[in-house]
Amino acid sequence: MIVDSAPAFDVREYLRKEMMPHFLCPGCGHGIALRALLWALHELKVDKDKLAVVSGIGCAGRLSAYIDASTFHVTHGRPLAYATGLALARPDLRVVVISGDGDCLAIGGNHLIHACRRNLKITCLMLNNEVYGMTGGQVSPTTSEMRVTTTTPLGNSEPHFDACALAAAAGAGFVGREGTRHVPKLAELMLAGLEHPGFSFIEVLSDCTEIFGRKNEMGSSSEMILRQKSELRPEAYRDTVDTPFRANELPTGVLAKNARPEYGAAYRKAAAAIKAAAAKKGRK
Amino acid sequence: MNGRRATHSTAAPGPVPAAPAAKAREPMNVLIVGVGGQGVIMVSKALAWLAQSKGFEVKQSEVHGMAKRGGTVFSHVRFGPQVWSPTIAMGEADILIALEWAEGMRWLPYLRPESGVFLCDTKRIVPPFACLNRHPGAPMRYSRETPAEIREHVGEGYAIAATEIAEALGNERAANVVLLGALSTALDFPIADWEAAVAQFVPKKTLTVNLEAFRSGRDWIEQARLMTPVAEAPVEAQQPLTNAPGKVRLEITEEWCKSCDICVKLCPERCLRLNADRIVELADAETCTGCRLCEWLCPDFAIRVHFDEVALEGSRS
Repeated sequence: MIVDSAPAFDVREYLRKEMMPHFLCPGCGHGIALRALLWALHELKVDKDKLAVVSGIGCAGRLSAYIDASTFHVTHGRPLAYATGLALARPDLRVVVISGDGDCLAIGGNHLIHACRRNLKITCLMLNNEVYGMTGGQVSPTTSEMRVTTTTPLGNSEPHFDACALAAAAGAGFVGREGTRHVPKLAELMLAGLEHPGFSFIEVLSDCTEIFGRKNEMGSSSEMILRQKSELRPEAYRDTVDTPFRANELPTGVLAKNARPEYGAAYRKAAAAIKAAAAKKGRK
Repeated sequence: MNGRRATHSTAAPGPVPAAPAAKAREPMNVLIVGVGGQGVIMVSKALAWLAQSKGFEVKQSEVHGMAKRGGTVFSHVRFGPQVWSPTIAMGEADILIALEWAEGMRWLPYLRPESGVFLCDTKRIVPPFACLNRHPGAPMRYSRETPAEIREHVGEGYAIAATEIAEALGNERAANVVLLGALSTALDFPIADWEAAVAQFVPKKTLTVNLEAFRSGRDWIEQARLMTPVAEAPVEAQQPLTNAPGKVRLEITEEWCKSCDICVKLCPERCLRLNADRIVELADAETCTGCRLCEWLCPDFAIRVHFDEVALEGSRS
C-alpha cells in the first residue's frame, strides 16, 4: 500500500520551489495529479537526475516546469515523439510524459497510437479535464456530450473519445484510468504504470474548475471532486450494474495489460546483431 | 463463563439437564443473533426446518434489514404444539445463540432469567461506530461486560471460540454450524436429524467441513459440561492511548494557498477554515485526526500534516 509512505513523502522535495506557487487556477485537478505522480516516483526511489519529464502544450504541459528533474517543454502534441527519441538514445533514463487531452488526442493523436504500437518504455499521463483550458475553454476530443464550451455554446454534440480504449486497441502495455478524488489510489495506479516494462498510458480525470466547471455550472472545486465519486466507478463494478450511473461514465482502475516485448530492448538487440554481422563480414 | 477467547469455559453449576424441558403447551423460544454475513439466518432456517419436520408448529421472524456486512442481524425461532406470536418477548428466550460477542451482550435481557441457556461465540467484529475517537491509536468502544455481569442474566452460559474451531477445520465461515452443534445439545432432537438439517442448508461442496464443525460444537459443549465453571476471566491489559488528541500539526505554506476551499469542504472532521485573508488555517486542532486528506487533495501543495514528536514516541512504546 502506497499510503504507508505518506509521512515520509514531502512533495516539496520534488518541486522547483523558486517556480512556486504554480500558475494553475484555484482548485485545478492538475495539481493533485502532479502530487500523485511525485508520490509514486518517491515510492520508487527514483533518482531525480535519472528522471526525464517531457510535456507538450497546455495546462498539463506546464506541469513539467515545476518538477525538480530534467524536464522538456516541447511542441504541441509532440511530447511522445521527443520522449521516444530520448528513451531510445538514453535507456538509462526513466521517461515520463505529461500531456493534456487536447495535446495527446487531438494534435498528438497520431503520436499516441504509434507510441502505443511500439511499446517503448515510457509512462504517458494524459490529464483529461475535457477542455482546452489554457486557450479559453474550447471543445476537446474528450468533452462529454451536451457540455458547454466556448466553441459549443449550445452543448457539445460530438461523441467523446475513450482514450483508454484507443490506447489498449493500439497495443499499449499498460492502460489505466483514475480520478483525482482518490489520491492514494491514483498514486498506486501511477506506480504500477511506472513499474510496467513497456509503454504505459494512464488517463487522469482532472477537474477544470475555473473554465469548464463554471461554464457547465458544476459547482465549486470541492463539489467537482465529489462529483467524480458519483460519476466514476471502479473496474470491479463494471459488469455488476446494467445501467451506467451517468451517460458519460467511465470505468476506472487498470483497464488493459499485456506483456508484448518492449521496443527499446528489441531495437538494441537488433542493432547489436547487425553490428556484429557487419564486423564479421569486415574481418573476412 | 469466560469473557476471553478460550476454548475451556462453562458456567454450569452441577449436572445440567440436556434439554430445558418445554412445558406441554408452551413453545420453545430460540433467539439467534449476530452480524450480517455470519450466517444467522442459515442457523435459524436449519432449526425451523428441523422443528417443522418433527411435527411442531414453527414461527420464525427475522430482521436482516441491517444485514449489510457489519450490521446487526437477529432471528426469532419459536416452535411447539401451538405458537401464536412470531416474536419472543424480552426475558422469554429459552436459548440465546450469539455469533458475535457484543451482539450476545446486546440481547442478554431477552434471555429467561435463571433458566436461559446462553451460547456465545467469542469472535469480535468491531463496528465502525465503535471508533468514536478517530485519532490514530485511540481505543475502541466495545462491549465491556465482565463475566460476573453476564452470570446474573443466564442459567447456563458458554463462551465458545467457534470461529477459531471452524478456522482449525479449514473454513472460518463454518462458525455458525459450530454453534448449531452446541445448540443441538440443548434440544431433544436426534443427531441424525440435525445433520440432515445442516445438509439441507449448506452449500454442497462445504458439507464435509460443516458436518465436522457441527460435531466439534457438540463435543465441545459435552466436554465443557464436565469442567468447573469459570468465575472471572483474566483482565486484559487496557490498551494505552497511543496518540492523544491535539498532537497533529498542520504546516501551511500561506503564499501557495489559492483559497480554493477543497480542504475546508472535504475535511471529514470539518476542522479547517479560511481566515480573513482567505488562507486556510486549522480552526480546531483538537478534532484534527491527521488523516492527510487535505494534504493529498490540495492542488497547490500548501498543506503538510505532521505528527509531533511526543505523539510519535507514544505510539512506538
